[in-house]
Amino acid sequence: MAAVANAADRRAEVRRERRVAFADVRTVWFIALRQLWERKLLNGIAIGGVVLGILVLIAMNGIFSGFSMKFTMAILKISPHVIVFDTELRPQPSILARHEGTFVATSVAHEVPSDRQARIKRPSEIVRALQQMSEVRAAAPSLAGMALIEYGGKTKSIDIRGIDVDAQQNVTPLNQFVKKGSLGALAVATDGIVVGSGVAADLGLHLGDVVHAAAPGGRPLDLKVVAIIEAEIPPVDKVRAYALLRNVQTLLGKPDIVSRIEVRLWDENQGFAAAERIERMFGYDAEPWQETNGNFLAIFAMQAMIGRFIVAAILLVGGFGILAVQIMIVLQKTRDIAILRSVGLRRLDILRIFLLQGLIIALIGGAIGDLLGKLALIQLAKLPVKMEGLVKSDTFLIHEDPSFYVYGVVFALVVGVFASLLPAIRGSRVEPVDVLRGQIG
Amino acid sequence: MTHIVEVRGLVRELSGGGAAPQTILHGIDLAVPHGQFLALTGASGSGKSTLLYLIGALDRATSGEIWLDGVEMGGLDDDDRAAFRNERLGFVFQFHFLLPEFNVLENVALPMWRRGIHRDDANDRAYEALALLGLEELWKRKPGQLSGGQQQRVSIARAVANDPALILADEPTGNLDSKNAEIVFDVFAQIAGDHGRTVVMVTHDKDFAMRADRQVQLRDGRILADARRGEEIIPPSQRMRQVSHSR
Repeated sequence: MAAVANAADRRAEVRRERRVAFADVRTVWFIALRQLWERKLLNGIAIGGVVLGILVLIAMNGIFSGFSMKFTMAILKISPHVIVFDTELRPQPSILARHEGTFVATSVAHEVPSDRQARIKRPSEIVRALQQMSEVRAAAPSLAGMALIEYGGKTKSIDIRGIDVDAQQNVTPLNQFVKKGSLGALAVATDGIVVGSGVAADLGLHLGDVVHAAAPGGRPLDLKVVAIIEAEIPPVDKVRAYALLRNVQTLLGKPDIVSRIEVRLWDENQGFAAAERIERMFGYDAEPWQETNGNFLAIFAMQAMIGRFIVAAILLVGGFGILAVQIMIVLQKTRDIAILRSVGLRRLDILRIFLLQGLIIALIGGAIGDLLGKLALIQLAKLPVKMEGLVKSDTFLIHEDPSFYVYGVVFALVVGVFASLLPAIRGSRVEPVDVLRGQIG
Repeated sequence: MTHIVEVRGLVRELSGGGAAPQTILHGIDLAVPHGQFLALTGASGSGKSTLLYLIGALDRATSGEIWLDGVEMGGLDDDDRAAFRNERLGFVFQFHFLLPEFNVLENVALPMWRRGIHRDDANDRAYEALALLGLEELWKRKPGQLSGGQQQRVSIARAVANDPALILADEPTGNLDSKNAEIVFDVFAQIAGDHGRTVVMVTHDKDFAMRADRQVQLRDGRILADARRGEEIIPPSQRMRQVSHSR
């Protein structure tokens, strides 16, 4: 009798039963989480693979973008955004050539180039016109050339720039790089020279030392070192020198000649567009900084590319880790899959269980990878490294960007989904009957 | 509808490994009324397990019809059959298939969670089913901590907790010692008798088969004999006459 009453109670209870929405998803979550937890070691290994991938991704990005950002920032200060050169884009044909075929000259066999020096005509007018342009912040005329300087029996070839100190300062903020002395002294003294730190080191120069400078076709000058600058870009610091425009014109034998106009823009990213506009307006070759420093920027682009390959390779390895572990679990769990299917879980439920496990592994791996990546960047930034190549620094140059961490997790999730797709599909294809018959499992 | 299971002209062929298709079942006709405890017997390879999986909506027939509780299985897709198994059927297998990561109560309640029954209600019912089998004390244990007989009783609890229309058992005593086998058999007899559920059980054990309400013997994919409790197993030569007579 008691049993019958029990059965009746039970049936009443069944009628009263409360139903739950998304029961399939809830069950899938429950199973996925429990199975992950019960296989901590195996899944821990899979997570470790992802962590390593994300860690390397963040560290690599931090280092590579640290270098290129530092270089770009320094180069944008020491070099102008656009340089207007003394090359005319549509040179006027010579008088002789213009009259070829007329009664003046029936044909021109070979024209001997005149020894007229290249120059920018009416530079101050162009500077003024440039300063009227909306995108231009400042413009300064200068003369650039090669010269030899001699001090204490040592000779060095330098890249000397004749400048108008105030105008140049607006285009390339040189005073930010002054290590010793002052830029103002250049404007005051009539025979001053500013040298890069590398030049000073090579020749053993100190403030107040007088160097002997000479160039072909010009008049040698004795110049006094009034400042030493350091842009922390060795390729610049080792050869660069500045002096007054007038002195350099004398030194190079180019009286009254301006060979370039340097321009600073409000927005350095507009370099190409501005250069093109300047070329159209003035007819002189104009070059944006991205082109001037194209060699270096190409190195960084290459570096970033290599970095991406390495990160992709490591993430791939991490993905194979998930794949291996998941395949192993699916094979081990064939029997359990058959049970779940026989008690009424659908193929999709099984697929979801394994995909979810892959996602959770990836998410945990991504989160830990982000955290360790952050710690790695903090430690790397403290790492003392004496380097003097393209960029000079005493420590690792690290640039930290929040997007690294977002990329980290996103890549981890993509890898997780792709890596667990195959095992999940395999798991969902298990036929319970095959397992029950004893063919599998 | 007096029959919970109705099988008509059931044929199952297996085409494995590129060999010629092998016929496991040659046109089975079988009707099981509500509340019957039916034992399926026969030698290995006679097709009894295949028949059980077909009745359990785990496998697809090559031809023929399987009606379960008024629903024809051939017309259901994979997901529908999974849902049908979940709501209407209970399974017990030879190797007490329990999920090792889940405790006893979770193992019993899990099919009900999937069905959408509120977790508390499902757990209550799972606990009741365990109590029915005298296992309520063990609800917190993992399957690995139980004896073989206890594990098999847990899987019976899982099969009955969902209050299914039909319980299917594939040699549930095959892997147990005689004492535990006796206990498990008695549980099935009780489920079928006192609770009025239908049980179809594949068994090798002649003694158990004799004690079921009805015994159906298969040989080479055909029904060899069909007998009620207490009746003699009918020789094959008289089977057709007997079947037509009973109709």
